[in-house]
Amino acid sequence: MVVKVKHLWKTFQIPHEKRTTFFENLAGLMRPRQYETFTILKDVSFEVEEGECAGIIGDNGSGKSTLLKIIANILRPTKGTVSVAGKMTPFLELGVGFQPDLTVKENIGVYATIMGLSRKEILDRMDDVIDFAGLQKFEDTKLKNLSSGMQVRLAFSTAIQTDPDVLLVDEVLAVGDMEFQQKCFEVFNRYRREGVTILFVSHDLGSVRRFCDRTLLLGAGEQRAFGGTEEILDRYVYDREVGSNDQKICHAKEEVTDSLNPKGSGNKKVTILGAKFLDKFGSERARFNSLDPMTVRIFYRAIKKFSDITFGISLYSEDGIYLYGTNTKIKNATISLTEGDGYIDLHIERIPLISGRFFLSLAAQSLDCQVTYDWIDKMYSFEVLQTGREGGLIEISCEWIV
Amino acid sequence: MLLVLYVVFSNLMRIQVEHYQLFLLLGIILWNFLDRGTSMSIWGIIGKPSLVQKVYFPRDILVISTCITALMMTALEFVVFIIFMAAFRVVPGMTIAYFPILFICEFLIILGLSMALSALNIYFRDVQFIWRLVVQVGFFATPILYPITIFPENVRWIVMLNPMALIITMMRDCALYGIAPEPLNLIYVAVSTLIVLQVGYFIFDRLEPKFAEAI
Repeated sequence: MVVKVKHLWKTFQIPHEKRTTFFENLAGLMRPRQYETFTILKDVSFEVEEGECAGIIGDNGSGKSTLLKIIANILRPTKGTVSVAGKMTPFLELGVGFQPDLTVKENIGVYATIMGLSRKEILDRMDDVIDFAGLQKFEDTKLKNLSSGMQVRLAFSTAIQTDPDVLLVDEVLAVGDMEFQQKCFEVFNRYRREGVTILFVSHDLGSVRRFCDRTLLLGAGEQRAFGGTEEILDRYVYDREVGSNDQKICHAKEEVTDSLNPKGSGNKKVTILGAKFLDKFGSERARFNSLDPMTVRIFYRAIKKFSDITFGISLYSEDGIYLYGTNTKIKNATISLTEGDGYIDLHIERIPLISGRFFLSLAAQSLDCQVTYDWIDKMYSFEVLQTGREGGLIEISCEWIV
Repeated sequence: MLLVLYVVFSNLMRIQVEHYQLFLLLGIILWNFLDRGTSMSIWGIIGKPSLVQKVYFPRDILVISTCITALMMTALEFVVFIIFMAAFRVVPGMTIAYFPILFICEFLIILGLSMALSALNIYFRDVQFIWRLVVQVGFFATPILYPITIFPENVRWIVMLNPMALIITMMRDCALYGIAPEPLNLIYVAVSTLIVLQVGYFIFDRLEPKFAEAI
């Protein structure tokens, strides 16, 4: 076990009245201090083994960065213990201690010292750093005259010169252009091959999925789960919408059931009552991992027996581009409705969407499409979260032939 | 500064001391060392919040490095002092050997004070102002401008309870007048140095875990 965290608690005290001077404290001796306590980490325990890459994910304010700072020994735990074996390098923020008035070379010296390199190592690697950052022309320029991108590159290339046993990374990759991010990933891959233990905090689920063997999920300071990355990410994505998004769906459904739906049009001989998006476990969601299975369940109400009917859907992107449309007739599904309520499922084996919010229109029409029974325009939406490295709106199934 | 003090104290106050210029200069250099070391260290930690909040390293490095900076500045002033000594043709005797020992004691006292002050200043931001006042009072309460002999015999020991007063007096004696320090006084200085250092580190260690939060 390289990193061991046992029953870790962290509580911050937020005093109502600020006493920062000696005299304020003297004056305040008579009155008891009032403060609120805020527990940011509650009983977090996990272990990371050597050479493993562990991801830490969770919503904003769930204590990810605090946890990392405690592991880095910057903050101290209220209760519990943290032990780290080996040399640790925290990438909590790049460019700590940069002096704008010193030259690039001098700053490399300063920063590398802070990161724990000896003078000799710094001198040996000076050229590597400058090469990697691509700043050969600017090595004697004052730091303040560099662009912010150059400063970040410089900081990163200096920081990676350390040979850590344990690396703590906190959202460092969020800055920088595509090329730079790619470079970062290459460096981290190199570290992984060298058997460095990495703790990685990120909101970018794609990179967590790519890098981490195991993942810790934090929610409001509590340890929700720790285990295999795939499983945890699924849980993170599918767990958290119990609140807001469900309401939206219910809300939409109510509107339809009231049959005062302003968006609906048609003669209402068949009414579409609503639609639900079901995930692979059969529960209702508004958020899906890209390339996961999904079922669209359409609820309807028929006022009489029908056989002259086709249900259709059309899918739109967030900015209203028509992406796909199909109906039961095209797919050769013959249906005949009995009077009353029912539902029909559209099963999608693999959502070929990468990321974004998508809108669905539903229609019930006669077979020749001459009579529209009901039409609900872009009323239902779901969100797709990117999980892989491929970009864009839709997925095209393909492979390279070399 | 030296000139003004020299004129005022040698003429107006009629202080009769051999080599008064050098007596005054050495006293001021040594007191300035304490003043500079502690005042710079008070800012040593609080002035670098980004370092404290973002990377971990033993925090006392900040204080030690600031004290060493002050030490080097004082070493430069000694060069000036040596030139003055040569100009006034004062040749130190063998007793000069005690000079570095006493100087190290002074450095350690400054370090101990700096540790405590820099840590306290994070929690109580007015410690720096209070300390300025203490340093000013100390300047006049310590025999820097005047020799200890201006006090009557029976109150001298009270003034000499202040280890800085003893250190400055003894350093002057051994550098200018060839008088070796009394062993008892040396022991008193050594013990008080250790106490100041211990207490300083103790306060620092107690407060250190919450630096990143309180800063």
